[in-house]
Amino acid sequence: MKKLNFILAALLGLGLNYTNAQTQKGSVLIKNATVLTVTKGNLENTDVLVQDGIIKQVGKNISAPSGVQTIDASGKYLMPGIIDAHSHVALDVVNEASAPIVAEVRMKDVVNPFEIGIYRALAGGVTISHAMHGSANVVGGQNATLKHRWGAKDPADIIMQDAPRTIKFALGENPTRVHGRGNNIQPRTRMGVEAVLRNGFNEALQYKKEWANYNAAKSQKGNTATPPVYNERLQTLADILDGKIIIHCHSYRADEIYMLINVAKDFGITKLVFQHTNEGFKVAPEIAEYTMGASVFADWWAYKMEVYYSTAFNAAILQRNGAITSINSDSAELIRHLYHEAAKTQRYGGLTDDEALAMITINPAKQLGIDDKVGSIEVGKQADLVIFEGHPLSSYTVPQMTFVDGVKYFDIKSDPDDQRQFVSATEMVEPIFLRTEEDHQCMQDVDAYFEAFQGAFLEEKH
Amino acid sequence: MKKQFLKAGIVGLLLSGFLSSTVWSQSDPTGKRRISDTYAITNATIFAGPGQQGTKGTIVFREGVILGMGANLSIPKEAQVIMGDSLFIYPGFIDGAGTMGITKPKDPERPKDFVSSNPPDEIAGITPWRSATDQFAITGNQVDDWRKTGFTLSQVLPEGGMIPGRATLMVLGNSSSVNVLVENTGIAATFSGSRSMYPATAVGVMAKFRDVYQNTSLALDHSKLFASTSGIKRPEMTPTQTAMAAVVQGQLPILFRAESDLEVRRAISLQKELGFKLILTGLENYENVIDLIKSSGTPVLIKLEIPDDKAVKNQKDEDVTEATKAQYARVKEAYEKALKQASLLEKAGIPFGFSTADTKPGDAMKAIRTMIQNGLSEKAAMAALTTNPASILGISRLAGTIEKGKMANLVISTDSIFKEDAQIKHVVADGFIFDYEVKKKSSNANGKTEGGPSPITGVWEYTSETPAGSSGGEITIAKTGSEYSGTITYDDPSGAGKVSAPIKNVALNGKTLTFQFDVNAGGMSLTVDISGEINGNEMEGTMAIAQFGSFPLTAKLSSPSKKH
Repeated sequence: MKKLNFILAALLGLGLNYTNAQTQKGSVLIKNATVLTVTKGNLENTDVLVQDGIIKQVGKNISAPSGVQTIDASGKYLMPGIIDAHSHVALDVVNEASAPIVAEVRMKDVVNPFEIGIYRALAGGVTISHAMHGSANVVGGQNATLKHRWGAKDPADIIMQDAPRTIKFALGENPTRVHGRGNNIQPRTRMGVEAVLRNGFNEALQYKKEWANYNAAKSQKGNTATPPVYNERLQTLADILDGKIIIHCHSYRADEIYMLINVAKDFGITKLVFQHTNEGFKVAPEIAEYTMGASVFADWWAYKMEVYYSTAFNAAILQRNGAITSINSDSAELIRHLYHEAAKTQRYGGLTDDEALAMITINPAKQLGIDDKVGSIEVGKQADLVIFEGHPLSSYTVPQMTFVDGVKYFDIKSDPDDQRQFVSATEMVEPIFLRTEEDHQCMQDVDAYFEAFQGAFLEEKH
Repeated sequence: MKKQFLKAGIVGLLLSGFLSSTVWSQSDPTGKRRISDTYAITNATIFAGPGQQGTKGTIVFREGVILGMGANLSIPKEAQVIMGDSLFIYPGFIDGAGTMGITKPKDPERPKDFVSSNPPDEIAGITPWRSATDQFAITGNQVDDWRKTGFTLSQVLPEGGMIPGRATLMVLGNSSSVNVLVENTGIAATFSGSRSMYPATAVGVMAKFRDVYQNTSLALDHSKLFASTSGIKRPEMTPTQTAMAAVVQGQLPILFRAESDLEVRRAISLQKELGFKLILTGLENYENVIDLIKSSGTPVLIKLEIPDDKAVKNQKDEDVTEATKAQYARVKEAYEKALKQASLLEKAGIPFGFSTADTKPGDAMKAIRTMIQNGLSEKAAMAALTTNPASILGISRLAGTIEKGKMANLVISTDSIFKEDAQIKHVVADGFIFDYEVKKKSSNANGKTEGGPSPITGVWEYTSETPAGSSGGEITIAKTGSEYSGTITYDDPSGAGKVSAPIKNVALNGKTLTFQFDVNAGGMSLTVDISGEINGNEMEGTMAIAQFGSFPLTAKLSSPSKKH
């Protein structure tokens, strides 16, 4: 009867979406929620109207325009989609660990939209993650900011195309271990790390000048200038110097954090965010004054020598010193409960609800350069939203629905159990790699460099 | 003693070299010289090209070139005659990208000042100057196995790292001939990094590929300026740049190995960014990118392989939970989708060829037959083996069909080539005949021949399970001559009641029945594919709607035709 009709209609609809290949934008009216705007306080019994992926109205007694679905969120909390400023979810490759500077590699080249970690992140209310290169290099690759549009087949559809460029840097034990001790090249020490950075930026300045000279000369009559060698590595460093790219630097110790601040000052770099930053509390005023802040773990340390001097009060100290501070996951597991990680700043440091929630919303948005688009519930912003049963900072909270651009990608009640986008035709049970699933992933793909050191270093992967 | 053996060996080598160069002397101590290089295969059924009807006739060829074909051909006196009665002749198959006969060269020694972050190109797997010709031996690994499967031409790719080198089009002819047909047909590329050095991973490979490409382009600019103006510093083209120049200038394609949909997207994004000619090879999992392949017009050579069915076969029927059953169903669905991929390429109008690299010759025909059982037409399968790769490789003038003036590359089988029990009796490659042993059909114990037609004519009642519940109708199948035809009824998509549509492309292969019908819905015509296994008077199979998915279907022959 009408069953085939129904199927065909549904299929036709799907087919049309498929051929258009645009990222989906949704419309929805969420009624009667306790709206945690993060930037504009909490609003009781309030409605949020989303049209075409944008928050159009926040207020009371809003009625749904025709065709717009209404969701009753009475007794529930609505907050902005959680943003993870440090993740490696949905990347086929994390580390091109083979050279101290690999600024030319682009994580956007290896985004994998089928990775189940995206859905699991959505189930934890995370709508945006910063898919970073690993920490094996002093200057790692360029990162990708992802919007968790689960179900997309084209990697381009989960890349947040309007996010600015960012790049991974790393200080301390990881790059010195991989290159110095692993391969006997610079850097072997923290001094070497600084030298690699300064040499790199100086070469980039020369490179930029060479090209400027060549470009000026080549159109002249009787030109004898020949093209310089193309080097995307140096070009990317030059782009950093020109303020086109935000640095996200893996770091632990206060001395090296302060070192990078000085390098940045010397080269006129202002777009700088520190990652991990376990000793950030020692240089909090400096971080606050000169950088775009720090993105830290709530309470994770002692997994290698340089991470012993740590405290769970780190985030609170940074925050109260005026540094933009965010809490990140660096893990496919932690990414599922970042709201809980943020709540730890209340136990250790007594931050307010807004301060704690800002750690996983507007603050990481600022550090990724997307705070004008996401990170809070405000009219005009992109509708990345999460509905929670229970206050998101409560230990008993459970995310109910997650929206990206007004499209619902997670619904705890109605989603089927099996969310895999890609199923192997030849393996009944897909291989599971406990190490990459469970551990922090900064040092993924670098095992080959440690053959000589296996056993001694296999446990350390951050 | 050892030295003496060595000497004897060297003398032997010299001697054999001497003898093989005396092909034109009056005597032929090797006994290998042909009596005549003219052949006639008489009274065979000739299928001159994909989709063409078989015609009875004779093919005559000399020195590797087809002189003529037809029913009333006069046979030259010097021709060796092969009686082709009861045999079927097809154009020789063409492998779009293979590694048969290739031996990987030894890794060069690392220099003393080797730095893993900036290794020399040769060590980092960037060797575009290497040629497959130097790595190929006609007597090498698997060449005869592939020839036995019907392949007569192969674009062989060199082995190596991210840019292994230049491909060569080889004819799989006689071992004493020079078998190079076209040298330098393209440059192979992969996403494989080098172990423990730059670039080590796919992300590094993509960056390095851009670097190699852009610097080749700049080196060419430099050379051009140097040629036209005095007072210019001399260009220093590296071997990599010299070899890549033809790619940058658009003369040679990059043959990118891209197994998954994500790799296909990566290769096409590099192509769009840099602008080279691209051919994709070794595709395994590409259902998601068929539209992209189509819209970008990229030629594709899919892997001549189907996924193994171990995971599907090992599924248990009893003592499993509902959750496990659901998982089973997804693996089964993935498996069935994988088998259908080739037919989806055909539906999208993409003239694909095959790549034999990393596949087993013994499984090739089974793979093709499985693709045919899953919706690929025999015509498209034959085109993928012959005319499509000929066109992708730019040799349609020489190969791909049986025509006067084309190369004498033929496959001669005991039955219609895609039939389960067809066996290849001879292969003609470059005008040389290769004979293969044909096994006699084994008959079943009960005396019935296997694969005999099941009774399918009559009225079937079917039901199909869809996400919205079950629906059903009737399928009526009749036979006229050797052709099947009929109708199917289904729930009207634009209202209540049933509508009827003619079924087409009805084919019965052993126990597998396949056919299609068209549904008009919302101004759009959708083709629905039905495929099922027949067991007695029952059928179990699937109903697939274009790219939207497939649903289980069962049917029962409620009133079989009396006349069968």
